[in-house]
Amino acid sequence: MARIIVVTSGKGGVGKTTSSAAIGIGLALKGHKVVLIDFDIGLRNLDLIMGCERRVVYDFVNVINGEATLNQALIKDKRVSSLSILPASQTRDKDALNKENVGKVLEELGKTFDYIICDSPAGIEAGAMMALYFADEAIVTTNPEVSSVRDSDRILGMLASRSRRAELGLEPIKEHLLLTRYSPKRVEEGEMLSVEDVVDILSIPLLGVIPESQSVLKASNAGEPVILDVESDAGKAYQDVIDRLLGETVEFRFLVAEKKGIFSRMFGG
Amino acid sequence: MADASIEFKGSSFTLSVLHLRTSKLANIRADLIKKVAQAPDFFYLVPVVVNIEKLMAAIDYQALKTLIEEFNFTFVGFTGDVATEQRKLIRELGFSFVNTTKVSTAQKAAIAQESVTTEVAKIVASTECHLYTDKVHRGQIRSGQQLYAKDQNLVVIGSVSAGAEVIADGNIHVYGSLRGRAIAGAKGHHKAQIYCQNLEAELVSINGNYWLSESMEQHWGSPAFIHLTDSELTSSKLI
Repeated sequence: MARIIVVTSGKGGVGKTTSSAAIGIGLALKGHKVVLIDFDIGLRNLDLIMGCERRVVYDFVNVINGEATLNQALIKDKRVSSLSILPASQTRDKDALNKENVGKVLEELGKTFDYIICDSPAGIEAGAMMALYFADEAIVTTNPEVSSVRDSDRILGMLASRSRRAELGLEPIKEHLLLTRYSPKRVEEGEMLSVEDVVDILSIPLLGVIPESQSVLKASNAGEPVILDVESDAGKAYQDVIDRLLGETVEFRFLVAEKKGIFSRMFGG
Repeated sequence: MADASIEFKGSSFTLSVLHLRTSKLANIRADLIKKVAQAPDFFYLVPVVVNIEKLMAAIDYQALKTLIEEFNFTFVGFTGDVATEQRKLIRELGFSFVNTTKVSTAQKAAIAQESVTTEVAKIVASTECHLYTDKVHRGQIRSGQQLYAKDQNLVVIGSVSAGAEVIADGNIHVYGSLRGRAIAGAKGHHKAQIYCQNLEAELVSINGNYWLSESMEQHWGSPAFIHLTDSELTSSKLI
């Protein structure tokens, strides 16, 4: 059985697509067969982050409408062969998807892949609901600021009430918290919510904390998911996320600001 | 202009009339005990006029007034269709004699008595239906979610997120943080209370009286409960 994981947040611009790309590549690098689906119909972004925008011929909507087969639409990643991408349509809107056909596509993909990662659009409308409906697990991407936390809370409510698992009364969706754009320095200065604050408000298990990093923007523009940048803090943090998703216990890193002074280097822990 | 600061005007009120069928104070006392026990809150400081027209024998007016006040009624005066001499006597003793509309003295008295009886029944009934059962919710109530415990108390084993709303006709207990809105006694119940392990609510309301966060400073971020005292919301430390 494939694990269907939705990467969602409610709020836009918090790092859903960046995280989907990193998690997709990370799992594939571990030898799993992974497919990344872009559910943001009309605002196609995942292919850009993955660096395969010039290879898009058919998209998700074509498959839904029976205008193309899955094999025609799936784009194999050039770096990791066990990873495929199902791009969104740029010309259609979110109403092009319906539960029945999306369900069929996911079922078909489930025969081939171990992991199906659904990159959700922002908001709580039909598109986001479609992305989370079939999920077994959810990675709730949140920035350490109040509006993002509030929106994530709203999405968690939706996961518990509007998903297939909720409707059928099955075991609830497994929820993970992914805190992105975390800046320990700004937390210490009181400008940002701390990990503890966010975990306290949302009360779901923490999957990872991705530090705010220049390398993320650079990676996005280059179409090289940041997890491939093994030198960067963000890349390392995503690597830890993969290990935790696969059931390992990994200590959290990058939670405290780097100390600069000679004394703190001598005595600091 | 001399009396501009005060003004006398006539106005009608509905008063409770106590009809006496006996002049034996011991019997009156026994019956009052029984009656008041049914709804002590209702009778507390209620103005009472005593109708003496059915009395066959003379009665000690002063002792009667004392007896009535013993039960926490507010004694207003006497009334009834009695002889002029008796009225005069009552006034001379220092009590006021309240005249009722001549046409239907008896009728009115009957109505008054009836309304008192039904009020009592109502109070007794509503006291009973405030014995609410509990609606228990396990888990967090998330932003945008709303939970209503109709004719029940609401128990939340978890937190109520900012942007969420919990409503109950009875009490609300939150075994977690209360960050959203909590509305207790929604159908009108002034004894409803709101309890939480951590008070950080956007709004709390009891029986239509509400507070926004800014009024909760005293127990903000700590275990507290909210209740009504004389129609004013009050917060108190829980532990």
